[in-house]
Amino acid sequence: MKFQIQRDNLLNSLQQIIGAVEKRQTMPALSNVLIKANHDSLSLTATDLEIEFVTHLDMVIDEPGEITVPARKLLDICKSLPVDSQVNITINNDKAMIQSGRSRFSLVTLPASDFPSLDEISSNSEFELPQTTLKDIIDKTAFAMAQQDVRYYLNGLMLEVGSKVLRAVATDGHRLAYCEKETDCELADIKQVILPRKGVIELARLLGSSEDKVKVILGNNHLRVQLNNIRFTSKLIDGRFPDYNRVIPDDGLCVMTAEREVLKQALIRASILSNEKYRGIRLILEDNLVRLQAHNPDQEEADVDLEVNYKGDHLEIGFNVNYMIDALNAVNSEITQLTLRDSNSSCLLTYPDQPDCKYVIMPMRL
Amino acid sequence: MNTTPTHWPRAIALVDMNAFFASVEQRDFPSLLGQPVAVTNGLRGSCVITSSYEARARGVHTGMHLNEARHLCPNIVQRPARPEVYAAISTRIMQALHDVCPDMEVFSVDEAFIDITHCQQLYGSPTEAARLLKQAVYRASGLLCSLGLSGDRTTAKYAAKLNKPDGFTVIPPWEARERLRHVPVTELCGIGEKIGQFLANHGVRYCGDMEKLPISVLARRFGNPGRRIWYMCQGEDPEPLHFDVAAPKSIGHGKVMPPNTRSRQVILTYLQHMCSKVGARLRRHDFEARTFWFGLRSERDWLGEKIRLSSFSSDHRHIYQHCQQKLNHIWKGEGIWQIQITALDPRPAAMQMDMFASEPEQLARDKQLHLTMDKINLRYGEFTLSPARLLGRSDMPNVIAPTWKPDGYQHI
Repeated sequence: MKFQIQRDNLLNSLQQIIGAVEKRQTMPALSNVLIKANHDSLSLTATDLEIEFVTHLDMVIDEPGEITVPARKLLDICKSLPVDSQVNITINNDKAMIQSGRSRFSLVTLPASDFPSLDEISSNSEFELPQTTLKDIIDKTAFAMAQQDVRYYLNGLMLEVGSKVLRAVATDGHRLAYCEKETDCELADIKQVILPRKGVIELARLLGSSEDKVKVILGNNHLRVQLNNIRFTSKLIDGRFPDYNRVIPDDGLCVMTAEREVLKQALIRASILSNEKYRGIRLILEDNLVRLQAHNPDQEEADVDLEVNYKGDHLEIGFNVNYMIDALNAVNSEITQLTLRDSNSSCLLTYPDQPDCKYVIMPMRL
Repeated sequence: MNTTPTHWPRAIALVDMNAFFASVEQRDFPSLLGQPVAVTNGLRGSCVITSSYEARARGVHTGMHLNEARHLCPNIVQRPARPEVYAAISTRIMQALHDVCPDMEVFSVDEAFIDITHCQQLYGSPTEAARLLKQAVYRASGLLCSLGLSGDRTTAKYAAKLNKPDGFTVIPPWEARERLRHVPVTELCGIGEKIGQFLANHGVRYCGDMEKLPISVLARRFGNPGRRIWYMCQGEDPEPLHFDVAAPKSIGHGKVMPPNTRSRQVILTYLQHMCSKVGARLRRHDFEARTFWFGLRSERDWLGEKIRLSSFSSDHRHIYQHCQQKLNHIWKGEGIWQIQITALDPRPAAMQMDMFASEPEQLARDKQLHLTMDKINLRYGEFTLSPARLLGRSDMPNVIAPTWKPDGYQHI
């Protein structure tokens, strides 16, 4: 194997895929990147057996071949080389020789045959949508995913594809984020998958805000996203996601509207003195006024009053303030609306100008 | 002891049990009274965990190899440690101290600081309050203790050391500086060899030398702890007592059963009794737990198992139900001597509600039921309202310490 590549191209490709390489590996090949040089193209593959990235570059190859080399070391070498430099990569006696200018490196390799590949995926359905749409739907929901919950199906993002619509739902049982987007896809029946947490985070990292189309392929056990020159594949969580429709309240007696930024800043202010572990905050709703109260184990107290639009009954309800701030950070709207029933029922947080997003937050007993 | 009935700005007492484990052995086995005793970890243990005053007089000290101790003191009596007994007595002593004054910091199994600043008036004077503490220890355990009383914790600890084994030393705060003046700095609790060397290099060997050294020298070298040392040596240790006990690592109850109990019904009664106690105690502290240890002690050893509930709970009925299901697994009909139920992962009860919780109405009803039951039992006595099975419960008083548990972290 022998080829020459622009340092910036190689670095860019490695940075796109490095997220799949876990820092600690039980299987040596998994800390390596698979380099495949064909006659007129180069592909780099990284995987942790749950997700896989493959990048593809069209270029002239002097001598085809395939090999795996330590991913992080190769990335660090590329990073440290001067911008616009040329990198020559050859294989010599099982060592990968990296040469650029007057710097020479030799890296230990493992044969390409040692590198695991994900199972073939059978495409059940596929559709295209703008990159920015997919990124947006993830950004607006992924924060509510559970982390290492025993209910393993919550440790991921539920994607639901229906006719002309893509929905994303994430929940950790305490709060739920829902977002739907219109798409061009024509699917006969609704298809639901759960993308695991790591896949969601890596996919969001990969996606930009361009209008370029990405192709999404849903298999039985995999989800694949094809961008311009990079292919992302993730295994799916085999489980039943809870019925989100059941927990999104459809009505409520008490409706409060407030400026999103103002409410958020008030919550942040009050939260300074909330319990660092439980983050409880009390909302007291009165006529056109919300009072935010927090206190901590040192008996320190915060009291923040805020003028809002509210005409309902007196209501006191407690929340984890972080959940409220997360939901207020997720959407960039002027106005937010909170719909409540009583102090033991969930709160629905919405944005009148973005009806596609819904956030549900369960209260705390304070 | 000259006591001044005036108000002290701060009054801190240190209660120190003398040669605690050895004293317990001598208390329980009168033949050991007046004898040099070395407590070791079982009879195979070769390290002296603690020794009686008679042994100490011959040069035996904690950490010494038993052979060495025998060399110094050929007639030394080796006693295997009985950690559960010490834990039980320690708990009783701490509770008795707490009853006199709740502002306390348990410093170790046999030492506690008590801040009597706020109750000195109630008892007349700090000295009077301290005397009550000492009496409380004796009444709870039949053991003597050394008590030091001063205006700060370091001087109080120093004072407690002065008169052993039955000391009662009062250093009024305004005398502390003078009393410490000629005391080597390394005598104070918290000044070890390293700090002592540093101070010696700066010409400070005795506490009285400290006033010549600028506080900044210590601050530069040791930061805030350095500043504290500067004050400590002058009888003004600013360190407050730490009243907040860390959240419990476990909450459990156990009971000795009629020896060689083989009746399933009796075991179930004891089981329900312990589950009810654990549940009530979890609820009293507003805790809940998911993992429990259920143990039965047979003649030889503990038969037990960890039991995991499907969710965090403080409901004694859930705990009982799960334990009962495991009973046949744990117990094959052996004679049973003792029972223990311990919540292993207590945490403050969920304030955060879960949207997928099963049957929230049922949970709310149960909560109300427990609240009512606990209130009644608090008002009219434990088990006024209880499962019917508990009508046949043991009327034996609790002899095992609430903090003690067979597989616990707190084995001493």
